[in-house]
Amino acid sequence: MAGKAKEKTKFNIKQKLNKVIRFTEKGTHIDLPILLITFILLAFGLIMLYSASYVVGIYKFNGDSLHYIKDQVKYAILGTGVMFFASKVDYHILRRYALTLLIIVYALLILALFMPEYNYCHRWITIPGVITFQPSEFAKFAVILLFASMIDRHYDKMKTFTYGVAPFIVILGTIAGLLFLEPHLSAIVITCGVGVIMMFIGGTDIKWFFRGAGIVVVAAIAAAILMPEKVAHVMPRIEAWLNPEADTTDTGYQTYQSILAIGSGGLFGLGLGNGRQKHLHLPEPQNDFIFAVICEELGFVGGMMVIILFIMLFLRGIYIATRAKDKFGAMLAVGIITQIALQAFLNVGVATGTLPNTGISLPFFSEGGTSLVVLMAEMGVVLSVSRYADLNNGD
Amino acid sequence: MANNRKNQSHVTNTMRKKTMFVSFCACLCFAIVAANMFRIQIVNYEKYKTRATQIQLRETELSAKRGTIYDANMKVLAQTATVWTIFVSPAESKTEQHRTIARGLSKILEVDEETILTKLKRTSSYYEIVKQKVDKPLADEVIRFCKENKLSGVNIVEDYKRYYPYGDFAATILGFCGSDNQGLAGLESYYDEELTGENGRVIAAKNGWGEDMGYGNEVISETRDGYSLVTTIDETVQHYLEKHLALNAEKHGAVEGAAGIVMNVKTGAILGMANYPSYDPNEPYALVDEELYNSIMAITDDTQRSQAMSRARQKQWRNKAVNDLYEPGSVFKIVTASAAIDAGTETLYSTFNCSGSVQVENRTMKCAQTWGHGHETFSQALINSCNPAFIDIGLTMGKDTFYDYFYSFGLAEKTGIDLPGEQNSLHYTADNHTTVTLASSAFGQSNKITPIQMITAVAAAVNGGNLVTPHLVSQMLDSEGNVVKDMTPEIRRQVISEETSEIIRNILKENVDTNARRAYVAGYRVGGKSGTSQKLDTARDNDYIASFVGVAPCDDPEIAILILFDTPTGEDGYYGGILAGPVVGALMGEILPYLGIEQVFSAEEQKLVSVTTPSITGYHITDAAVKLQQSGLSIKTVGSGDTVVSQYPAYGQKVTTGSTVIAYTEQGEATMVTVPDLRDKTPRSVNSTLDAMGLNISEQGAYSGNSGVRVQSQSPNAGDKVPMGTTITVTYYDPTYVE
Repeated sequence: MAGKAKEKTKFNIKQKLNKVIRFTEKGTHIDLPILLITFILLAFGLIMLYSASYVVGIYKFNGDSLHYIKDQVKYAILGTGVMFFASKVDYHILRRYALTLLIIVYALLILALFMPEYNYCHRWITIPGVITFQPSEFAKFAVILLFASMIDRHYDKMKTFTYGVAPFIVILGTIAGLLFLEPHLSAIVITCGVGVIMMFIGGTDIKWFFRGAGIVVVAAIAAAILMPEKVAHVMPRIEAWLNPEADTTDTGYQTYQSILAIGSGGLFGLGLGNGRQKHLHLPEPQNDFIFAVICEELGFVGGMMVIILFIMLFLRGIYIATRAKDKFGAMLAVGIITQIALQAFLNVGVATGTLPNTGISLPFFSEGGTSLVVLMAEMGVVLSVSRYADLNNGD
Repeated sequence: MANNRKNQSHVTNTMRKKTMFVSFCACLCFAIVAANMFRIQIVNYEKYKTRATQIQLRETELSAKRGTIYDANMKVLAQTATVWTIFVSPAESKTEQHRTIARGLSKILEVDEETILTKLKRTSSYYEIVKQKVDKPLADEVIRFCKENKLSGVNIVEDYKRYYPYGDFAATILGFCGSDNQGLAGLESYYDEELTGENGRVIAAKNGWGEDMGYGNEVISETRDGYSLVTTIDETVQHYLEKHLALNAEKHGAVEGAAGIVMNVKTGAILGMANYPSYDPNEPYALVDEELYNSIMAITDDTQRSQAMSRARQKQWRNKAVNDLYEPGSVFKIVTASAAIDAGTETLYSTFNCSGSVQVENRTMKCAQTWGHGHETFSQALINSCNPAFIDIGLTMGKDTFYDYFYSFGLAEKTGIDLPGEQNSLHYTADNHTTVTLASSAFGQSNKITPIQMITAVAAAVNGGNLVTPHLVSQMLDSEGNVVKDMTPEIRRQVISEETSEIIRNILKENVDTNARRAYVAGYRVGGKSGTSQKLDTARDNDYIASFVGVAPCDDPEIAILILFDTPTGEDGYYGGILAGPVVGALMGEILPYLGIEQVFSAEEQKLVSVTTPSITGYHITDAAVKLQQSGLSIKTVGSGDTVVSQYPAYGQKVTTGSTVIAYTEQGEATMVTVPDLRDKTPRSVNSTLDAMGLNISEQGAYSGNSGVRVQSQSPNAGDKVPMGTTITVTYYDPTYVE
């Protein structure tokens, strides 16, 4: 009797839980190649983070060479758990919470503006002793989730302005506006970039992209005329980008140090752990410029390995998306995988001086617990999409 | 409915195509980055590698320690002390700390604050010197100041400073070093390469704050410290030489300075070499002559003043003994005489007739003794320093023979002494001698040589005919003290026969015994020859160089001393025998006992075993020494003056030959000593004990030359207080003697 009651209770909890979190059916399989690539990136990332961060720990945290890596390993384990959990969850359940998540993100972004300043920015929300995170990490995912949902629902009407342009622009505009107040330029670039790409694949009429581009150019020129002091603020960065060696400002100096690190790596690098530029020459070797450390220590070969891994991750993610069970899953996977690839591209582009300097982290490699957990959770979502996708050859 | 919706939700082909397009764009983006990486890492690898190395590594030069210069007894004459160079690296400093750095360093190092600030503004520089040659306490203070204020960009490196512990002692020999420790004069310059050693190079990794990372230091080349030099200079001999040279140069007003050389005639080792005036190699740029300094500073034109200053310094640093030429005058007659005897053109039995002057072609050449020497032998001609006789000797041997010997005696070439800037003589050769020049050359005019050439030739004349290479360094040591190289040079050649040499020695000794008495030292068989030459190339008439060369002991010569006063203006005149002779005598009297050369009294001197003390009170100490030496007594001066104010024993006392007379050069009580207990001591021990205390000895009883004799009794008794110079009578007995 007692056993039966217990079973019943258990069943009830499962049923109740299933209303909120619907687990996938038994017998489905996640895509192993993308899982493997994810783990390789994660492991590679931890090794390189240790190499890049131990000197910073020694110099800035009283000789604690493990300062960064010990937290990162904890979050990597936690993130792996979160990923597997998310991969078990039927991704369709997520669209129920899309709007709720966006509203929470708005609230968090506004809250962040009232948090204490750090490095002249209001990017972080800190609950002392508990957690420090950037709401922008969640904003990206909220936008992806909502956009995927909207595209899936109104795919037929995507060519119209009312369904295919206006709601997207309103959401991107407001998010970007809040991020601008923080200010957090790289988050704006990634969120808008991912959003626009999703709109493009989601079926928004091509002419709107040209019109949008036209508006951006006009706005830029108008801004240059109306607010020349803002332009004056941007110009040195552009100059620093064009000629990092001649530049003596901070951003130019950072890029130059990064290029020196990459350049002195040569073909095979100085060897793991033997980097010299991380000894206080390179700014943030554990974060924005970790790619420079990789290139210095492992050379062109090591740097290319990182790029190829990201391309493989991206292409496999796209493959999953194109074979997803439905448009929602496809757009979800496209959004997430594009976001990761775009972030990787921007980071590597800045480190090599290909792009102007904006602080941006390298997924799986850069130090940062919350963002790693969010990233792993997103990979979990992609894995969840892969369960339903038709990944067999043929078709 | 549900099915329919599901179908509707399928991913469309349009979406797939657009996805492909996005993928293509993404791959293109990554390809651009990869291409840029290729450009940076592969194409421009060398460029970035070099630039990265510049900011990551610091190449430091580790200075080798300059070798020490020792005297013959390993006393340190020049050594290197560690000092520090303070420099700032503006590129590694923080702008907000510049004020603090400038103010702090300015206070500690006494450097202008604005100067430091200006240097700190050169923000791309890593090396701006604030101050060099900083001593340890100040360097420590800088380190403490930087630590306390957590300053970055202030650096301290070890450096060296040359230090001459005896000040102006042996300055013209030692020379001095410039600000980078490079030798600029003297031995410092001649042996610069050997003394310098090899600097090491170390490459150290540094971090972004410019700090050494403390590991990964790579030694590119090891530091090898400079070799040390063991010189032949004897600190004691050099000290005697400088003391007498300076005293007499001042006394005789030698306005163009004075020089002196003490040389071992057998090896060419220079025991002492001095110039007057000297300078302090610790401060070589400071002019010693204050009057000259003031007159130069009074010049208003900047260019003229600095030129005058430069000339004055060059002159101050000159070593007359090797850098300047002079006409040796009668000292040269030693060479002419040696040549004539060795070539056989004259013998000891040759005779000459001097009427006071002689006609050579259309020139009348005078003798110093204008009324003539009359009939004289070869020896007498040299002792009389008779010019007509030597003109005769020179013309008899002819210019070829004369030049052969002139050349053989090393007078036509540099001696090869290890000092910089040695001059060669200005001389006539066999080809361009005329009868007139040959005649004047024979008595020491016309040819201009260096003092070092002169003394080397004299050494050859008296040492059995060997031409030695004068030298100052005997050994080179590495930093552990191992002998790296033995530097004693070889004998250059035999110039004259041993027989000729012996003849010359005897004449020179006879000269001192009978004529040049001022150089006489009882018991030491001193020989010598004076020289007085007119300077023909000066603006003034009657400028002379007074010189004297002495050798001793004449039966087996050990040392030669050459003393030279340039342009004496004092009341004692300008004759070499009068001015330089006593200096040679005084030096012989101090140096020969110091070198342990035994006194041998001739039969005549033996008669004076008991002598009466002369009065030396009121005399210049050099003259006092000569006066005592002629009586077979020696001098010990007490006090720092140069005139004797009182003496002990007093004038007219009977004392033993060889006793010491104490000459007080300052007013005051006589120095009292306590008589030591000499009982049962050996004669050797008694002598050294009493000598060290300034007491004299009178021996009685058993013959003190027998080994094994001991003191039986003494008077005064041990423990009595007596004035220095008192004679202690000791009675020896021979314990082995059996009746």
